[in-house]
Amino acid sequence: MVRFSIRLLLGACLLLATQLAPAQIRMPQLKFADRTLKNGLRVLSVEDHSSPTVAIQVWYHVGSKDDPDHRSGFAHLFEHIMFKSTKHMKSEMMDRLTEDVGGFNNAFTNDDVTVYYEVVPSNYLETLIWAEADRLSGLNVDDANFKSERDVVKEEYRQSVDAPPYGRFFYLLQAKSFVDHPYKRPTIGSIADLDSASLQDVQEFHSTYYRPDNATLVVVGDFDPKQLDGWVDKYFGPIAKPSLPLPRVKVKEPPRKGESRLTEYGHNDLPAVGLTYLTTKRSDPDADALRVANAILSAGESSRLYNALVYTQQIAAEIESDDNALEDSGLFIVGAILSEGKKVEDAEKSLLAEIKKLQDAPVSAAELEKAKNQLITDQLRERETGNGKALALGESAVLLGDPARVNTDLARLQAVTAADIQRVMKKYFTDSNRLVLYYLPEATKKGGQ
Amino acid sequence: MIRKIFFSAALCATLGVLSVNAQTPQATPPPPAPPRSVTFPKPVEETLPNGLRVIVVERRESPLVSAQLIIKNGGEVDPPELAGLADMTANLLTKGTQTRDATQIAQQIESLGASLDSGARWDSSFANLSVMSSKVAPAMEIFADVVRRPTFKSEEVERLRQQSLDAVTLAMGDPGAIARLVAARVVFGDSPYGHPISGTTESLTRITAADIAKMHLRYYRPDNAILIIGGDIGAKDGFALATKYFGDWQKPTAPLPGQTMLPAGPSARTGRVIVIDKPDAGQAAVVLARTGINRKDPDYFRGIVANSVLNGYSGRLNQEIRIKRGLSYGAGSSLDARRDVGPFLASAQTKNESGAQVADLLLGEIGRLSSAPPADVELTPRKAVLTGGFSRNLETVSGLVGQVGALALHGLSLDEINHYINDVQEISAADVQKFASKTLDAKTSNIIIVGNAKAFLPELQKKYPNVEVIPVSELDLNSASLKKKETAG
Repeated sequence: MVRFSIRLLLGACLLLATQLAPAQIRMPQLKFADRTLKNGLRVLSVEDHSSPTVAIQVWYHVGSKDDPDHRSGFAHLFEHIMFKSTKHMKSEMMDRLTEDVGGFNNAFTNDDVTVYYEVVPSNYLETLIWAEADRLSGLNVDDANFKSERDVVKEEYRQSVDAPPYGRFFYLLQAKSFVDHPYKRPTIGSIADLDSASLQDVQEFHSTYYRPDNATLVVVGDFDPKQLDGWVDKYFGPIAKPSLPLPRVKVKEPPRKGESRLTEYGHNDLPAVGLTYLTTKRSDPDADALRVANAILSAGESSRLYNALVYTQQIAAEIESDDNALEDSGLFIVGAILSEGKKVEDAEKSLLAEIKKLQDAPVSAAELEKAKNQLITDQLRERETGNGKALALGESAVLLGDPARVNTDLARLQAVTAADIQRVMKKYFTDSNRLVLYYLPEATKKGGQ
Repeated sequence: MIRKIFFSAALCATLGVLSVNAQTPQATPPPPAPPRSVTFPKPVEETLPNGLRVIVVERRESPLVSAQLIIKNGGEVDPPELAGLADMTANLLTKGTQTRDATQIAQQIESLGASLDSGARWDSSFANLSVMSSKVAPAMEIFADVVRRPTFKSEEVERLRQQSLDAVTLAMGDPGAIARLVAARVVFGDSPYGHPISGTTESLTRITAADIAKMHLRYYRPDNAILIIGGDIGAKDGFALATKYFGDWQKPTAPLPGQTMLPAGPSARTGRVIVIDKPDAGQAAVVLARTGINRKDPDYFRGIVANSVLNGYSGRLNQEIRIKRGLSYGAGSSLDARRDVGPFLASAQTKNESGAQVADLLLGEIGRLSSAPPADVELTPRKAVLTGGFSRNLETVSGLVGQVGALALHGLSLDEINHYINDVQEISAADVQKFASKTLDAKTSNIIIVGNAKAFLPELQKKYPNVEVIPVSELDLNSASLKKKETAG
């Protein structure tokens, strides 16, 4: 599952980061153009001539939460199908237009969005604008190609869920955390639902969600803005906006009314424990404080969980926390894979003790500054490339509803106080809002073989 | 979920002119415009009086600096019974110095928003620093401290030992990880590249703090090291930082350890088919493994182009295994050129039932590369993949420092950065076939499959009657025999 953690962008007009005061790092602003075509397609672009390449992304506001009934995994399967034949392109032609000229392409699907991206030598920009417009216009996939790609996705399921010793643990942590909201279906879906999917589902999904008013085109790199506008108008402009309304998930996950505890067994040799808490949607201001709290818990070896569970108590081989800021409802995950011979009950106690410390006392100014510095440097690194910048811009526009957030989020992050962190820790990390999952080796099952 | 898994104030809101023409979409892609040229930064270097080679490579796009300190020895100098020693030594650098304990190092580095990590690879050990350029000096002071003055306190050795043992346990639950470790033993036997670089349960238990201190004393010395500083920093400032923090690092009087490999070459037995039976495996990991080339081999560019024909999304392996047959999420290959001859691996994970079929496909594609030259329409794009990937890698500061470091480690000209694209372009289809016939013979390649044997063994045995089966519970990575010794009774 891809997680977005970037909130800041390095601009086209690059300035040196200058330190104003502790924890007040000035970041270069990203100068972007923003226009919307008549058919609803939003186009965001950043001119940056530092390398002779261009990054092109198309963000579709559809994710696995929009999977049709009994078709879990479909949005992701569909993402794979988008590389098969269209009206004017043969299967894998996207690879011919990108990989074969020294660029690359890829795509990802998560709970909320599906994103297609390419980086190519800049002289291929018009070609790629044409190609992205072509696959938005319609697909033309045959059954053999559909089934073969579905087999690929089933192997992806096996490789991410079945084969790694903790694949199913992370799958279950999400699946068991939601009761009503479609977030209860992890993006990869299930083999049975993938097997039920048909070519007809593909056509219906395309006409429902793949429409210009549900898409955002992001272009970052070495281009001439007038030329770009002309190409976008020429190739995307004629695509009609359907008259049917876009369906949106309206299900609200009900608040949890008490702790739930589960034990599952797998082919892991070391036990694992995970705690989850429902938090808030990612556009909520509390999400900023939760993000800093997450860094304090698990970013680096000076983080609270690493220091307590791995270093000092030596109870865990690995620790994990993730603020998982999803569009409709956050899911904060805290967990540990145990060290040899340790007990899950003890690891759970240690995790809870660290959470309690953050509730009982504010973090120090130095610890707060450290977490912010870590988050900011991460952002700088992620935005070194055109593709990274485009991801940040797309995320702000599509998931936060405002591309300008790409430049204002640093200020939001800097504004988070120790009191904010203590407040959100108390608000969301309650006993009744907790799910506890023990993931134990099959061999330890009582009465098992 | 991603499609592919191969191997990074006020705003001007412009309202665009909207298109109103409703023409039919163009049926063929518009052709590309003329390409633009690329230039890469030029590394500059100096050697300090203590023998430390310092390289600075300036790249100002982002306010970031990366530094890498390379020690010119790594896992290949592990004594046979102490597999994992070089890696433990490197990992312990950040766990305490004469003036800072492990907690203080992590606190101070992370307070700067910096990251500092260390480890051992084959042929080298390293410490990497990444930091905002405004905080480079305080970070560099800590960076130098951990490389030069680690203390290897016994409590830290014990802590790391337990963590390393847990990591071995985790790896042994993953069919892909097991397959790679077995492949190294099969290809290199008991020679230096054969053992697990992170150690085994048995070897990790044997390593003492004294072994670690000895390894550090012997290899971590300025005349056996290279420092690369890259990113948002000029040459003058880079050399000044290097002199300030590494200039008084004393060169020991003992002679420099040589870099010749320890005795015993690659394993004599080839063409083996080995199954590690792991009944609970969720997938079978299939690996074709054999020797490749060393980094200074004149065939290097022929080799990487040949590998690119096989590897990558549209490479032959993924074409045949994923795109045509839907048998895997991804198939690929790697030609790991080291100081001495390194491995060539081709691999894919597939459902257990398809294990034998994927093994056949891997062998078939390796064989096909020797039997005919690739057509130019195939070769040209595969070369573009290499040169494009190379250029993109240089777009990040850490990528740039990594590339320069790899050239420096092998004593190659740093100018190769600016020759790479040309050197790749010069390779012909005949070169690729010649390389494959000479170096990538299918008959002397080995196959390793880790998975639920019941699902694929009968089919595999039909074709390869000599297949060796080892239950995962009897697998022993401590020696080339791969099998635990029979215990009495």
